[in-house]
Amino acid sequence: MKEIEEFLRENKPQVKDDPTFLLETQRRMDQVEGIKAEVDRQRSHGRVALIVALVAGLAVGVLATALAFLYPIDAQTVGDGLLESTRVFLQTYRQYLLLPVAILAITLALVLSSGKIKFLQQQ
Amino acid sequence: MTQERFISLVRAQQEPLRRFLLALCGGDAALADDMAQDTLVRAYVASGSFLGLAKFSTWLFRIAYNCYIDYCRRKKPEETDIDVALSVPSSDASDAAFRYQQLYQALDKLPEKEKAAIALFYFEDRSIKEISAILDMPQGTVKYQLSMGRAHLKQHIQL
Repeated sequence: MKEIEEFLRENKPQVKDDPTFLLETQRRMDQVEGIKAEVDRQRSHGRVALIVALVAGLAVGVLATALAFLYPIDAQTVGDGLLESTRVFLQTYRQYLLLPVAILAITLALVLSSGKIKFLQQQ
Repeated sequence: MTQERFISLVRAQQEPLRRFLLALCGGDAALADDMAQDTLVRAYVASGSFLGLAKFSTWLFRIAYNCYIDYCRRKKPEETDIDVALSVPSSDASDAAFRYQQLYQALDKLPEKEKAAIALFYFEDRSIKEISAILDMPQGTVKYQLSMGRAHLKQHIQL
């Protein structure tokens, strides 16, 4: 066993001196920083969008409540009317119902992919 | 941890880190350096969680070992790096080249834990306690891995 131990101690693997190694590390760390900054930016955008949505929802809710108190109506009549008009609308335009869904999906896909392409180009 | 601080800590550790991974990768310098870069990126990303409870080098070597284990899991079973070990970058003397070739080929036949324990103990002069922290195993197990590693190496290395 002594010989093996001596052999191992005398034959440590030799690494070649590479001055570019730390430069490459620095470059990768800069990339990490870029990704971190982008994630932070998207997170803060998301937070702002959430706050705006909450405030808008609250405002609409308050407005709707105020209108309901100011102009009281018979809920049963309105409900029946709404159901009837919805039924008629669906019967009349059922062939076009998937169109807005498709348009929304395509728009979302375009918006999201253009954002990613822009980010990749920046990198 | 700032980038400058991280780089200054890494500067002192880059050679031992690359040597450790070179031993684990069976002498494949390109693979070892790539793994070392991967280790450093992972360490930089996780540097916020480094509390200074262990030595920076111990923490870094632990990440390096985990990188190597991940690589071994990803690697297909039929892939063997014996050919790489045969084209070992060596010193000028052919005798030394032969010794390194023999060493890398023998190391390549060891299980990962034995290989890592041998590399840390003999090439990096780490204590059993440090190896225990890096490989996340009790000190008794490290001694056992070293003993088994030596026995296995003896079968593969002609002295």
